[in-house]
Amino acid sequence: MNKKERIKFLFVGPGILWVLAFTIFPLLFSLRLSFFHARLGRPQEFIWLGNFGRAFADYRFWSVLWVTIFFVIVNVALTVLIGLVLALLVSRPLRKPLKGQRAIRAFFTMPLFTAPIALGYLGLTIFHEEIGAVNTVIKALGFVNLPAWFSDPWLARFAISIVDVWQWTPFCFLVILAGLQSLPDEIYESAALDTSSGWDVFRHLTLPLIGPVLFTVTILRMVETFKLLEIPFSMTSGGPGMATQTYSYYIYLTGLRNFNTGYASALAYILLAIMLIISIFFFKRLRQIYE
Amino acid sequence: MKKLTIFMLVFVFILTGVAVYASKGEKAKEGAVEEKAPPKEEAGLIMGFPAANEQEAKLAHAAFEAADNGNPDPAWKGKKLTIAVYSAGQRGAISGPLYFWRNKFEELTGATLDIVEIPFAELREKIFTDLMTGAGRYDMLINCSNFYGDYILNDWILPIDDYFDDPRMPEWDRDSISPAVAALYKWGDHWYGGNNDHDAQVLYYRKDIIESAEWQAKFKQEMGHDMPVDLETWEDVVEVCEFFHGKDWNGDGDSDNGISLHLKVGGQGYFHFMAMSAPYVVIPYPGDPPTKVTRYHNVYWFDPETMEPLINSPGHVRALEILLKLSKAGSTAMWGWSLGEAWADFLSGNAVMCFSWGDVGSLSQLPDQSVIQGKLGARGIPGTKTPYDMQKKRFLNLDEPNMVSNQAGCSWHPVISKYADNPDLAYYFMAWQSTPPINHWNVYMGWTGVDPGTTYDWFPPYGNAKEEEYVAGGYDAEDARNFIGSYQDNFYNYPIFQNYLRIPGTPELQEIWDVHLSEAVTGQLGPQEALDRTAKDWGRIIDDYGRDTLLKLYQESIGYK
Repeated sequence: MNKKERIKFLFVGPGILWVLAFTIFPLLFSLRLSFFHARLGRPQEFIWLGNFGRAFADYRFWSVLWVTIFFVIVNVALTVLIGLVLALLVSRPLRKPLKGQRAIRAFFTMPLFTAPIALGYLGLTIFHEEIGAVNTVIKALGFVNLPAWFSDPWLARFAISIVDVWQWTPFCFLVILAGLQSLPDEIYESAALDTSSGWDVFRHLTLPLIGPVLFTVTILRMVETFKLLEIPFSMTSGGPGMATQTYSYYIYLTGLRNFNTGYASALAYILLAIMLIISIFFFKRLRQIYE
Repeated sequence: MKKLTIFMLVFVFILTGVAVYASKGEKAKEGAVEEKAPPKEEAGLIMGFPAANEQEAKLAHAAFEAADNGNPDPAWKGKKLTIAVYSAGQRGAISGPLYFWRNKFEELTGATLDIVEIPFAELREKIFTDLMTGAGRYDMLINCSNFYGDYILNDWILPIDDYFDDPRMPEWDRDSISPAVAALYKWGDHWYGGNNDHDAQVLYYRKDIIESAEWQAKFKQEMGHDMPVDLETWEDVVEVCEFFHGKDWNGDGDSDNGISLHLKVGGQGYFHFMAMSAPYVVIPYPGDPPTKVTRYHNVYWFDPETMEPLINSPGHVRALEILLKLSKAGSTAMWGWSLGEAWADFLSGNAVMCFSWGDVGSLSQLPDQSVIQGKLGARGIPGTKTPYDMQKKRFLNLDEPNMVSNQAGCSWHPVISKYADNPDLAYYFMAWQSTPPINHWNVYMGWTGVDPGTTYDWFPPYGNAKEEEYVAGGYDAEDARNFIGSYQDNFYNYPIFQNYLRIPGTPELQEIWDVHLSEAVTGQLGPQEALDRTAKDWGRIIDDYGRDTLLKLYQESIGYK
């Protein structure tokens, strides 16, 4: 290997070192920690699978898992559905592009670039039970019993879902719109000869063709929603009680607030396993459909 | 494409023009400032203080002149002191006084003071991470008193006894501090903390409403007996709050609240429950002294023999049931309220009562935050005639209420990190802020969040404070008497008191307690189930830390022998 060829290592070296130091090492170290009874500052003790066993016997584990699954189902379904509807409204095959499409696209994507923690605090002011915009409007409409957004467990979850959906719908909209716009006009011209029903065209043509895009968006959104932390953190602090405490929030509390790093690592690996299983299932199903 | 290119070019051109114009404008403004404004150090200061008005500055100056400034070591010149404090801003509670006195400290020592504000929710993790890793980012910590267990177990903070006779250091009066608070600044035989804040909870009420003959007559008509205006027991408080709740007693045309409470998860609601529930759980030792700690007397948290949690005792459960009743006599939104929101409901004249820290008393005197100045009633925390006796395993039926005062909260005060670069300089600041004139100024200035707790804060016969001092600080004279009086009662006139939990892992224990209390008040769990869960979780945490280690520290912390 001559000098000129060796120089390539100089360029990739820092990148490799970065990944080793800040991705691979923490990954392996946290794997090691998950087998230890480890509280920061206290002596560590090897306990085999003790932390994993403890998780399954921990009612908080099941509670936060349930809350997270609720958010995954509701938030992912709503973001993908609303994103799809908006993309269908904006995408107009065989017709002139919608006037101001770029402006609409830019406008829709704005929440995506907001920090989730800031959106959470914004949600706190919007859903405030006494002076928030939502309840002010409801009150102005003549309703007396105003929704208790932060003291009713279900309403608190719903409020968080609204904020999360608000933030992530633009992402789904953008990706699905790109998928729709990549479909050739010719197939819509052929379809127009067979049917005049827009629903039929959507069901038998558009939907199967953008299926892979929808699958990808759904998987990405699921992964993101499983990590939901900032919005409940800033909006409800996980309350009332544990009603909006998500899995990531629990890991954060266990590891970074209470410094129980061994148990927090085990919880993180269980989450990783859950997400891997779901992803594998989805991709297998996708392959089956398209093979 | 061509259109887009032209558009982009025009856009960039306009943007550049705006930027150039703005920078010129900024320079012009800077130039103007340089010519006309006083030097930067003096800008916004009155008599060298970042005071809101001349009166505040004058009082601060008098305090500064009266305080012992010690003999600052010339070697401190150019050094930096970094203090971590919970985030409330430059005129906010606890962090505000640091900013206020910073210039004077820098004048005296030639050192610089760096104030690092940390949000309350992250305070513990930031401080503990700094200490665990030995990073030493903070020289001094304005800390919550319940962090001590972890500090002592891990040897993270420095004792300060050796500085007391150091001629460089300002003298402060440790004997003036109420014994219960002084105990918080110590562990075993050593002092660790400097004097600052003295937290306790008392009951505040609208004197103009409770003492109104008209409302008393309406109460009698509706309830069939006289209004219990002394509010001696929690049962009385519930009855009065229920009576007022939903009535337009402030005449604003809307129905108003009986009480204002705070129990949002992640806040400090559990401290309120502690203060409120203590009379149901803690009973005095029947012999002498009544404050003696035995397995069944003067205990609240754990069995001091076994470290089994007592938090689900029948007394605790009864208290939680009372709290649930109280919660029905306030705004339905209050379980989602932060502490400030709960205070605001009372201060803005929408609730007849509220129980909390001294901050409410001082904030009630700030016209920009309160409409109740001159209408403030206050008393020590109520008791109950039906406390639970853990030895007899039954509720008692007393003629006189079981009264238990409290130290609940943080009593924010400075400690020195073991990893401090300049512990001497840190102690100098701590001692200087603890001197009676400065500490007393911090107390009678309502915005500082520093609560009273020393003889120079109390009125005679408990101390030597003068009403005029509080009036000069913006207080209504009668409000000051009521507020300070209730604090004096709390510290001196109750037979027994309930103290902090100060063992390692306390914040973790509080976190889960907080969650389960919230579950109870929002109807997700019954009181018994919520506290059973708390006890179970506490047991697990205790085992995690090591039961024997914690038992020893717990016994030490409550004085159990």
